[in-house]
Amino acid sequence: MRRDTSPVDKLLENPRLWRGRNPAQGMAGLASGYAELDRHLPGGGWPRQALTEILIDQYGIGELRLLMPALARLSADDDSADVTEPGWIAWVAPPFQPYPPALQEWGINLSRMLIVRPKSDSEMLWSAEQALSSGTCAAVMLWPAVLDDQASRRLQLAAEKGSSWAIAFRPLAARVESSAAALRIALQAGQSGTRLSILKSRGGRPAVLHDVL
Amino acid sequence: MPPVRKKPWPIRAGATTPAAPDTHNPPHNPQYAFALDEPVTPPVAPAATAIRRLWFCAYLPQLPLEASGPANEARVVVEEQQGIHRVLLASPQALEAGVQPGQSANAALALLPKLRIEERSMLREQQALEALANWLEQFTSVVCIADRDVLLIEIAGSLRLYGGLLNLRQQIAEGFERQGLSASLAIAPTPLAATWLARAGRRACIREPANLAPALRTLPLACLDWPAATLAAITGMGVTNVGDCLRLPREGFARRFGPQRLLEFDRALGRLPDPRRSWRAPEIFCIDYEMTEEQSDREGLLAVCHELLLSLERFLLTRQLGTQRLQFSFFHLRAPATQLVLGCARPERLAGHWVDLLRIRFERVTLAEPVIAVRLYGGRNQALQAESGRLAFYDKAGGRRLRYSMSQLVERLAARIGPQSVQGVATVAEHRPQKAWRLQGLLGDRAATTLSAIRHSLQRPLWILPEPTLLCAEQGFPMLDGRLILLEGPERLETGWWDEDGITRDYYTAVNPLGMHLWVFRNRNRASDWYLHGFFG
Repeated sequence: MRRDTSPVDKLLENPRLWRGRNPAQGMAGLASGYAELDRHLPGGGWPRQALTEILIDQYGIGELRLLMPALARLSADDDSADVTEPGWIAWVAPPFQPYPPALQEWGINLSRMLIVRPKSDSEMLWSAEQALSSGTCAAVMLWPAVLDDQASRRLQLAAEKGSSWAIAFRPLAARVESSAAALRIALQAGQSGTRLSILKSRGGRPAVLHDVL
Repeated sequence: MPPVRKKPWPIRAGATTPAAPDTHNPPHNPQYAFALDEPVTPPVAPAATAIRRLWFCAYLPQLPLEASGPANEARVVVEEQQGIHRVLLASPQALEAGVQPGQSANAALALLPKLRIEERSMLREQQALEALANWLEQFTSVVCIADRDVLLIEIAGSLRLYGGLLNLRQQIAEGFERQGLSASLAIAPTPLAATWLARAGRRACIREPANLAPALRTLPLACLDWPAATLAAITGMGVTNVGDCLRLPREGFARRFGPQRLLEFDRALGRLPDPRRSWRAPEIFCIDYEMTEEQSDREGLLAVCHELLLSLERFLLTRQLGTQRLQFSFFHLRAPATQLVLGCARPERLAGHWVDLLRIRFERVTLAEPVIAVRLYGGRNQALQAESGRLAFYDKAGGRRLRYSMSQLVERLAARIGPQSVQGVATVAEHRPQKAWRLQGLLGDRAATTLSAIRHSLQRPLWILPEPTLLCAEQGFPMLDGRLILLEGPERLETGWWDEDGITRDYYTAVNPLGMHLWVFRNRNRASDWYLHGFFG
């Protein structure tokens, strides 16, 4: 028989008490394929069913490489996937053309690519929301010119509704703006390599990582 | 030319004296020698009589009036006769006010000033008949438009499916009522007999050929729909009904009124076969809807479009087809028509599905003017592929909940932002970077297979520029926010003479002071300019 619980345990059982870090709580993350990063993310990977923001000022510093292993697994025609239709990867308003031969090199299933090129910002948010909440897209990447608090909240809700992973690429200047994202990561390139800073991580802690990529 | 022998027509209504064979002028066909209703051996024996036919006739006397609109107001349809517009048919309200068919339009207007007068439109009647034929196709595969107000269907084969003659008859009758049409229905073993019975307004239901002649005997001659001159001639002889007619000698009857009329009797009584051409709906669906007044309210227009889509659904349902493209045309009084094309990822026929897409498109469309008519044009039809459903327990808890399928998502996106803006990608077996990939439409046939994953282990950037951009150079070094440092290369990619788009390039991987990894190249044979072609994202 267990002895009487201590007052601290009693307090911890109270559901109204919020604990900053509770690994048992959240669901397992989506392994990013980079061990160093996984160690610093709650759940050991990218947050599923949530909005992730990646803040960058230049292209070509590894912003896509960071996502590729996870996307490759999401798009795979894997029998073990618990989805009725394996995940599609939606690219909403990408700044350039994603290059299929390189994507294939990373193991992405090209037949599950959806590239959407909306004509305006509002259409872009609408498309992203549709894709997220449809339940058919495993991941939706978007490149909004501006993303206010309300819009990020909507994306977050849509991601939850459709059990999808939303990734918004935004400029570094947006770090001072508030956002509903579960995870915010800033990527800064330097001569020595790309520095990855975790600015906000729901259930995790901010961190700065140097040699991820 | 032999002189036509005047033979006195026997003036006798009811008396039956078999006409003696004429020895002076032998008839061309021995069967003319008998009275009309005497059984003769038909020149062509009907094919094995085991196949029993049963014809259902719907006669629509009020069609000119009913085809032009609902009957709940005082309306008349007029037709020009000898330069005067005369009332052809009047709605019950108009009849109550004293308007009579045959009156001149002016007289009718004097009786009822708020009367709505419409010119008879044969086109509209034909369209209404075709719509009805379309609808009747659900009951049988043999539907004939026999006349401008007569529809015939052959129902012997459908009786069992529809639970017997009475049930079938009731279903059809209810259908006519629902569509606001007053139809006179009759059933008989031959198409002509059914037509005559329906024209005469008899709610007859004759299944046995033996009962046919007695039923036809009492019909007035008017139901034969013969030319007025012929009818006048025959009634002038004291012949008033079909029974009288049948007692006339065949030979004389044929000589006076033509063999065609004799043939009609033979066919009606089932002595001669009466082949009918079955009506076939056009394979492309096209339907118009004319507004009663200019319409600019979107919800109202959507409701109209929904109606049109429902008839498309019925059209496709009877053929087990679906369609991938639809075109709506909204006609305006003064401006050119607004076209609206809807696309679908898979052949689809459900009206609800199309209405959802249309609603999305409608938010983006500006109509120049109020709409006076809508046309729905269904594109190429394709066979629907049935899909097996999933068992409910297959969806594991925590799995992704499908709100709608991928194809539906693509349709919705394409409907709002345009089909060119929603694309898939594929690789192409080609060494030139620009041509090693292509966009692939997601709407439409996705049978085109993508290349199986061939790993080249090549350094290729994740981002590619649509066109290479010229980089400025400093002392021969390429610049982009500072001097580039070449990390790898060159990788030489050459030729393409077969399509006059050849290249001779040396590709390098480079990094700039900001830490951006770039894919740059230099043309080997020409000036040593540097170009940026992609980013290693």
